Amino acid sequence: MTNTLDEAALAVVVKQVLLAESRLRMDPADLRDDEPLNGGLLRVTSMGFLGMLIKLEDVLGIELPDDIFVGRTFTTVDDVVQAVRGRVA
Amino acid sequence: MDEILELSRSCVTAAPPPGAAEYLNFCTSLREHLHAAWESIVDANAEDLRAIREKGAPETLVDRIRMSDEQLAWLGRLTADVADALGRLAPDPVHEAGPLRVRRATRPLGVVLMIYEARPAVSVEGALLPVVMGNAVLLKGGTEIAATNRALAPVIRAALRDSGLPEHMVHLLDNCGRSELRTLLTRGDAIDVLLPRGGPSLIDFCRTASRIPVIASGGGVNHLYAHHSADPGEVAAIALDSKLSEPTACNTLETILCDERALPSVADAIVKTAGEPCTLKVPEQFGVTGNDLVTVLPLADVDLGREFLDRTLALRPVSGVEEAVALIREHGSGHTEAVVAADPSVVQTFCREVDAATLVVNGSLRLHDGPTMGLGPEIAISTGRLQVRGPVGLTALTTTSWVVEAGGTLRASLDEELR
Repeated sequence: MTNTLDEAALAVVVKQVLLAESRLRMDPADLRDDEPLNGGLLRVTSMGFLGMLIKLEDVLGIELPDDIFVGRTFTTVDDVVQAVRGRVA
Repeated sequence: MDEILELSRSCVTAAPPPGAAEYLNFCTSLREHLHAAWESIVDANAEDLRAIREKGAPETLVDRIRMSDEQLAWLGRLTADVADALGRLAPDPVHEAGPLRVRRATRPLGVVLMIYEARPAVSVEGALLPVVMGNAVLLKGGTEIAATNRALAPVIRAALRDSGLPEHMVHLLDNCGRSELRTLLTRGDAIDVLLPRGGPSLIDFCRTASRIPVIASGGGVNHLYAHHSADPGEVAAIALDSKLSEPTACNTLETILCDERALPSVADAIVKTAGEPCTLKVPEQFGVTGNDLVTVLPLADVDLGREFLDRTLALRPVSGVEEAVALIREHGSGHTEAVVAADPSVVQTFCREVDAATLVVNGSLRLHDGPTMGLGPEIAISTGRLQVRGPVGLTALTTTSWVVEAGGTLRASLDEELR
């Protein structure tokens, strides 16, 4: 599944999970790439990462490494998209 | 992992039945061991704090995983409250059915897997409440509190041993990554109940990916409906207490649904009476202005159905109780919903039409917790519909066996009697 997942589709999947974690009902296309993970709109902290990673693995049909977030700082939507993209490329 | 699961099951079998003195001993022993080892627990916690800071976590998150004397005092009170609740447990009910004496015997649920992404004090809660009802517990905490949990594990084990309970009744799962967690969630043969405490993704995953029954401590997208018959000052007091006493709690208030005609006076009362900094999101057309403590921002469509997880309150106009109920049905999470009204018929309609774990009438949403409601200590607030809804207290962590004392009665003789 991931082999055929293009960049835009991957971003949509990540945004859907981030929106669900923030209990927001909005179109993922309307979520900006530079939207802060923990700001006026999204409310995502590392406390929610376990559930989100499991969800991403399920939706993408992949296994993400446990250290995916090690050594990275996550402040925006795009930070998460890039981290996941680096693992599914 | 297989070994841990087998060990946990054998502990459920070996443990004394609920109500045994060993569980009271455990409350005392755990408190004493926590006090004795507190310095080393705080040192280990400092490692976690350092690591999470290095990852750039905000201070609110750092505070959330901090173990301080405040937590120790709270855990001390919890062990005392649990001991008190154990002493108040009602004896197994007995009734007679013809020649039969039927007793409902309390049994532990079995092996409980608790998954949490929260404060390390939850590790102690998870080790205490299920265990005193005879359950074995697997605790899967977040990596953010790994060092603290490693320090807590021997403390809990020692307390179990000293109180005469099997020392492996509690396992703090170290090195349990997501793949191991996935495997655990398929082990319905070895795990009896899941108790997830975390974000929506985690709870949703447990509900959909596992066939093991879930007692879910879901988030609270909670509302307060303010009818125009209510005093605006009372609405403001209830709303502010419901939010500011603990802005990130699951029973905190997110949105006030206010009768349109009363909205200006309610907004005014909130701005005037707020004693702490907060944000009020309200439609711009009402022209509400803030002050030094209250920041007023425009309400956006996406704000409905949100958990703000900070000191933000939304204030939305509604045409009446019917629209408020409709919005709660659409956006609420079935956790805590409240109404403030002087008109009893409005209260009646609200309580009949709104379905949530707890409905509060003319009071703070923060009243929704086990101890406050006189239900004893709780490990979570459940938004599920089976086994338990609302505060998950000690008895919710048990099931029953029916003991039929028949005195030689045969079914055939009963059937004969009925003929």
